[in-house]
Amino acid sequence: MKAAIEVHELTKYYGDHLAVNHISFDVRQGEIFGFLGPNGAGKSTTQRMLTTLLEPTSGQILIDGHDLARDAYPAKRIMGMVPEESNVYIELSAWDNLIFTAQLYRVLANQRNARARELLETFGLSEYRGVKVENFSKGMRRRLTIAMAIIHRPSLLFLDEPVPGLDAQSARAIREMIRQLNATGTTVFLTTHDIEEANQLCDRVAIINHGQIAAIDTPERLKAAFRQVQSVEVALDPEGRLDRDALSAFSGVTQVIKAGDKWRLYTEDPSSLVHQIVRFAEENGMRVIYLNTLGPSLEDVFLKITGQEMGTVRHENNERGTKRAKMGGRQ
Amino acid sequence: MIRSIRLQRLRDEMAQAWAVTIKDMRVYYLQPPMIMFGLILPFFLFFSFSIKRDVGVEVGIARLLAMTTFFTASSAGPVIIPMERRMGTYDRLMAAPMSLATLLIAQTLVGAFFAFVASAVPLLVGLVWLHVIISNAVLLLAGLLLASLAFSAFGLVFGSIPVQSVGSIMMPSTLIRWPLLFISGIFIPLSEMAPWALALSYLSPLTYAQDVINHAVLGAGYLNRWLDLGVLVVLLIVFLIPAARLHQRSRVLGY
Repeated sequence: MKAAIEVHELTKYYGDHLAVNHISFDVRQGEIFGFLGPNGAGKSTTQRMLTTLLEPTSGQILIDGHDLARDAYPAKRIMGMVPEESNVYIELSAWDNLIFTAQLYRVLANQRNARARELLETFGLSEYRGVKVENFSKGMRRRLTIAMAIIHRPSLLFLDEPVPGLDAQSARAIREMIRQLNATGTTVFLTTHDIEEANQLCDRVAIINHGQIAAIDTPERLKAAFRQVQSVEVALDPEGRLDRDALSAFSGVTQVIKAGDKWRLYTEDPSSLVHQIVRFAEENGMRVIYLNTLGPSLEDVFLKITGQEMGTVRHENNERGTKRAKMGGRQ
Repeated sequence: MIRSIRLQRLRDEMAQAWAVTIKDMRVYYLQPPMIMFGLILPFFLFFSFSIKRDVGVEVGIARLLAMTTFFTASSAGPVIIPMERRMGTYDRLMAAPMSLATLLIAQTLVGAFFAFVASAVPLLVGLVWLHVIISNAVLLLAGLLLASLAFSAFGLVFGSIPVQSVGSIMMPSTLIRWPLLFISGIFIPLSEMAPWALALSYLSPLTYAQDVINHAVLGAGYLNRWLDLGVLVVLLIVFLIPAARLHQRSRVLGY
């Protein structure tokens, strides 16, 4: 099967600064491909090159087999783009924004109105169709931006941080829409710093760091490849008798992090560590009130690869029966 | 087959240029500040430099037409693209299946259209209120049309400079456009200029617009009318080249 995106040795310099360093990867037709990376890693630069907005210094990009350097026109026709900032014309109404985009993408005149109506309905904007976008909330503008990106029914959709800053309901609706679009055959290239979002949505993810692809695989395979970031979470009573030095002294522990009223101990051998903890509690007259073993999360893999310190994240989402993390703040 | 595809592409590009033109008109030009600026500034300039200067009505109208066309056509270009860049809508245009030439032509057209309409105001004032007699109406229409297009493309050059702040563009744009008023035969006729000033005036696009408007309104000009029209056509093309190059430079720099 022809790849939706093929990238060969893509490189971008800004002056002397190397932003993207000879990266190569491909995105298969029909998959949701996550592109993860910390701030300044080169993910937005890469996406801008893939969407023709930025000229690469060197390398080749093929979109559906079309070389962007030779003729971007056929590639542009099948691409939709949702940038990080909602880029709508605030002086125009939702309807006019949609119709203008349909005209730009040469949607047939007899289909424009029907598609615009359908999208307004789908995104819950029907009753605001004639309202100027300057009166829209952030979530409404986001939904309109996505609607504009798909009015020409692109087979390849680029989404740059689609949900940050949105309320939980809007974020969930947008994630569901991404799944639905993908189910109908749209290939999705999702640039995000939200690791849990990538974990939930993506068939494969690439992690870019310092302008280079550090890892690329399915979320589960990436997690499996990082056994050293398995961990055990424990809470003992009384808590006051437990300290970092005592926990660090356990055999095989590579890192100790305080996580609320619990401690997280990273190890390659959780089974052995559990035994040590139980023995420690018994010997010291303590009671185990919480004990859980955790496989590596995608976030752990990400942090390991990108060299960020573990424990700098907020833990708020549940995964595999335990609390899992979403990175706090923008990356 | 290939010819048919090319024709379809051409039709698409024309339709896209029209869509962008209409959008720009609604988003930028039909806004109260722009309308006020386009209509009031030329009158302000005219009265500032004409009162108590013993200027004939026809001469005054010819000057007013040239100034109106120049300022309205060249004003929006430096504003629209930086604004689109700041709002992110520029990316929407650049990512669309549309050539850069189409985008530039659309933005030139919309500026020219606005200037053409704005110049109708002083013209109507002259015809109806001051009973000005136009010597050559066809030449006037052709001159105003070409001048509007050339000045709009001139403004686009500034707008294409890869920055996101409108302020960064307005300074060089103002510094270059305003002095042109004084070396283009508007306030000092070309025939009365010192040789060095006359040589300088040939570098100004406004010189040729004022001269062809003088031919059309007054029935006499300093240069050949066909030369004026020809230079305006050449300038339209010449201004689009740096605009396109600057846009391509933006793609390299990442603006």
